[in-house]
Amino acid sequence: MDTQFDTVIVGAGAAGLLMATRLAEAGQNVAVLEAGPERKLNDLVSSQIWARKLKWADTSVAEAGNHAIGHAFNSGSGTGGSAVHHYGVWLRLRENDFSVASDHGVGLDWPIDYDTLRPHYDRVQREIGISGDAEAEIGRPPGDPYPLPPLPVFSQGRVLQKGFEKAGLTAMPVPMAINSQPYQGRRACLYDGWCDAGCPIGALANPLAVWLPRAQAAGITLLHNAKVVRVLRSSTKQSRITGVDYLSGGETHTIKARDIVIAAFTVQSTRILLNSKTDSLPAPGNREDQLGRYLTTHPAATVFGLFEEETLPHQGVTGGQLLCHDHYAEKDQGDAFGSSQWIIANAIKPNDLLGYGTSRPDIRGPALKPWLERAARHLGNMTLVTEDIAQADNRITLSENRDADGVPGVSTIHNLRPETIALWERRVKEGKKLFELAGADEVWNGPRAPMHIMGGTVMGNDESASVTDHMGRVHDTDNLYVAGPSLFPSTGAVNPTFTLSALASRQADHLIRKYS
Amino acid sequence: MSDTFAAGKSVDAVQCDRRQFLRSGTALGLFLVAGTWVALTPAQAREKKFTAQVLTSSQIGACEQLGDALVPGAAVAGIAAYIDSQLAKGTDSLLMARYLGAPPNVQPGFYGAALDSAVSALDAAKGDVESVLDAMGSDSIEGWQGPPASFFSFLLRADALDVVYGTEKGFAELAIPYMAHIRPEERW
Repeated sequence: MDTQFDTVIVGAGAAGLLMATRLAEAGQNVAVLEAGPERKLNDLVSSQIWARKLKWADTSVAEAGNHAIGHAFNSGSGTGGSAVHHYGVWLRLRENDFSVASDHGVGLDWPIDYDTLRPHYDRVQREIGISGDAEAEIGRPPGDPYPLPPLPVFSQGRVLQKGFEKAGLTAMPVPMAINSQPYQGRRACLYDGWCDAGCPIGALANPLAVWLPRAQAAGITLLHNAKVVRVLRSSTKQSRITGVDYLSGGETHTIKARDIVIAAFTVQSTRILLNSKTDSLPAPGNREDQLGRYLTTHPAATVFGLFEEETLPHQGVTGGQLLCHDHYAEKDQGDAFGSSQWIIANAIKPNDLLGYGTSRPDIRGPALKPWLERAARHLGNMTLVTEDIAQADNRITLSENRDADGVPGVSTIHNLRPETIALWERRVKEGKKLFELAGADEVWNGPRAPMHIMGGTVMGNDESASVTDHMGRVHDTDNLYVAGPSLFPSTGAVNPTFTLSALASRQADHLIRKYS
Repeated sequence: MSDTFAAGKSVDAVQCDRRQFLRSGTALGLFLVAGTWVALTPAQAREKKFTAQVLTSSQIGACEQLGDALVPGAAVAGIAAYIDSQLAKGTDSLLMARYLGAPPNVQPGFYGAALDSAVSALDAAKGDVESVLDAMGSDSIEGWQGPPASFFSFLLRADALDVVYGTEKGFAELAIPYMAHIRPEERW
């Protein structure tokens, strides 16, 4: 492709398509290169087995450490990226999440504060619609009220809420990027719990529903099965990136642009930059050996219980019905560290990795079906999300292995600090107690699991401890940007899609103003 | 994809070569039955005595024995046909193992080694499936090759849950309303 674009965006996920939409609507000539296949809303079949098609499935990412990142489960492939199968839990980072290093002496600070992002949180929520109750949301930073009322609470939520009430805790509505009422031409949710397989009716704000139609109407060029392998430096000015090389149809192609945005999700964004090293120059953003460092993931767990009361856990949305943030602000807890949240009463299926059938490998044979029948009507579950601490040694590096196209793969290592493990263990113990208070006669928990993947190209003011500046511009370049959760210097304990979208909104504004 | 193999097209038996089979495999569950590729569910493929593409007959036997002991009904639901057809799909395999460190391209060797070990363990235990499952759960089978036995047992149970309860029919057996936005094919 010979065309010179204003902006080339690598990755058609939540950040990439948001930016493509805004830039194209502002008149820019935008190309989006997506490594995976084309996906449309009517490809999103309601099945946990079919849902696996939406996720990454090659051998290019090796994982190690005491809390490996779970790349295959957490990432996505194809139009919409990982956000096609995300659950729509859209919370703002709390104000104290931006300053953990200054406040507590651990991890990294953000180079921006909440107030800087607030207008973009507000703008994005107006555009896509969020269902919630801002006044009832404990710890919510200042911001516009949610455009839509909260989603309904079903029987599972009502049963579990009793445990929180007895413990003196608050179970409040979860802010969800899922329509409780029709919004901006998108339908309201049907509460059938197929969010993990992708929402074909567009009630959940996945990028196929909210950004892609606008981006295409604004005239973007979108290429699928176009795997970007490296960015290209100008031969006359090292800080200038001229374009990217990508593989398509078995051949290498080059596409050129004034600005380049890498929005290929945490691991692949880092991989592309690492693979852009030349014989004479380090990879962009790696002059100080920071590229790939501060890899993070939320340590999570599911607590399960069986109740006498009917819970009908197939009802609702996968993301959950209620939320508890009572202890969120208490990061420093002696031997434990970090914020945490409970997402309560997730809609759940019998099979698949997060299914209740899979949660009890000890039950087999003739005992299984009666147990599943009971669980199908009387099971409750909730999800713990805990904060990770950014550490320089948790990192992504190029590996010796190559993928099927001959492109170097990556190795990832991620270890939790003892105080993070202590926090997770404490919260799981408390969660099981909450289920007992709610009346569960049997309680168990799933293993510690990685949820979301962040870091690797973190933003910061200090080039010796970051890869990009506060706008996501790679430090040693003029026009190379990274978008997405790889920018996060800290994780908080809230789901990242709202924040990465607010960041992308801010970046899009910057790229529009840059030439106006 | 040619019209012959378009998703949703009503075909009971179609002739195609190996290349067409692999190309079509992501949309329809095609099984080789008496020399002809036929679009079937795993349960139908078992009933019609499909010709496996990856697993050996002894591996299929072990797969069904263990799968059925873990999740009753798995053998008749076609767990062996399901696993074999997924392993034959290469990078398009939908087995849950892809989430847990066994991406599609390593799955044939992964399942093959574990099932060979299971065959030996079942022989040594004279077919006592329960004792073999207990020993797998505690990783105490001598000479076990391939992925850890407890991990493989977990995955095989998950595969069995998929074929028995991960379908509209399986939901109905548990009296769960399926409520599909877009109904899935059962021919994975």
